[in-house]
Amino acid sequence: MRTIFIASALLVSSGGSIARAEPPTTATTATTTLINAPPRAKDWAKLAQLPDWSGVWNPNVSDQNAQIVSNPMPWKPELLPQIEHLQTEEKAGRPKGLFVDCLPEAMPSWMLITHNALEFVYAPGRVLILGELDGNRLRRIYTDGRPHPDDPDPSFHGHSIGHWEGTTLVVDTIGILPETYVAVSESVGLPNNGDVHVIERFHLGDKDVLHDDIEIIAPHVLTRPFKTTRKYFRQRARKYEIIEGVCLQGYFSSRRDAHGNAVFVPIPQTEGGNPVPPKE
Amino acid sequence: MFSLVSPKPRRLRAGVLVVVSLAGLGLPGLAPMAVRAHHSFAMFDFTSTAEAAATVEEFRWTNPHVVLVVKADASPSAPAKLWSLELTSPGNLTRLGWTRRSFNPGDRIQVQFHPLRDGRQGGAFAKATFVASGKVLESNLRAQEKPGLQ
Repeated sequence: MRTIFIASALLVSSGGSIARAEPPTTATTATTTLINAPPRAKDWAKLAQLPDWSGVWNPNVSDQNAQIVSNPMPWKPELLPQIEHLQTEEKAGRPKGLFVDCLPEAMPSWMLITHNALEFVYAPGRVLILGELDGNRLRRIYTDGRPHPDDPDPSFHGHSIGHWEGTTLVVDTIGILPETYVAVSESVGLPNNGDVHVIERFHLGDKDVLHDDIEIIAPHVLTRPFKTTRKYFRQRARKYEIIEGVCLQGYFSSRRDAHGNAVFVPIPQTEGGNPVPPKE
Repeated sequence: MFSLVSPKPRRLRAGVLVVVSLAGLGLPGLAPMAVRAHHSFAMFDFTSTAEAAATVEEFRWTNPHVVLVVKADASPSAPAKLWSLELTSPGNLTRLGWTRRSFNPGDRIQVQFHPLRDGRQGGAFAKATFVASGKVLESNLRAQEKPGLQ
């Protein structure tokens, strides 16, 4: 439903007095109102039939790194000078901090390069992926059969719809901000420049190993759809539970102000995001 | 007081000695730590490990990187110096058994780290040994790359 509020709070000056124009009215388009139906008991019961992905999943970073080498991203030839420059700078110890601003890695880079844990939450009509690194590392995957919007507002994680094929969750994502990176590391990657489409197949590769088979279609930076897999392993012990992590907190230290209040104060850091001691 | 592991230790800065260079030696271990979260760790020189006797000034239990601030002891030729040493995230360290109280201000430690290549007073934490107890803390994210750990 698209509701249009007609701006009508225009104040009109008339003969020295202030008169209000027509009161606000609401006009509704003729499109069908889409409703999120309240879940019923059977909708909750259906969740019990889904594969057990509870627990905390950690990325296998060694495997990430191995795949980055063995299955390189098919960058467009005209972009290779940019990539090679970033790689050279990284090797020289001057890495470009793609994410040092604490904006989300976004899709698909979150799935590709994260070193942080995540968890899955099932609810009627949706699957949530909650990341540890920051409060906004969150993916909502609608599984209620809805289509993508015709013109989704671009976002860091895009608009995701999914469906189950047996015990595999198939996820389709569009609507990703063009400024976000297709990245192979925290310092090598390029803005996707728009029109990215990501197709994923999540499934268990072993009892406690989850595979995310990812296909990335990024027509402005890649020569062809790129397929890769990222593996996550599961821990059951409570000590592995996800804890809150706020990226920007790392740019502050805890101190007391002149009144004795506990406050955050910025800490000195390099342009690369490394904290350095204050001048002594 | 500094421990000299390398036969030819190189003084890096006041209060800190490079104890061993791994470049070209073919030594295992001390690979770059998998602690990158929001910046690459390529700015640290993982071919060099510096070691210092130090006192803990501050332990910041924060994302994206936990930070240990230490004051390395003065040497005969230089004053004591502060260093900011970065680690992985609180979540990842928790899974390695660390807590926000793993270090406390005033703790005396022998600390090893990989220094920033640009010469500033920062580094990637490698290992710390508590002087009083002999307890050792390390930060190897890959040590937990298998399911079912308890």
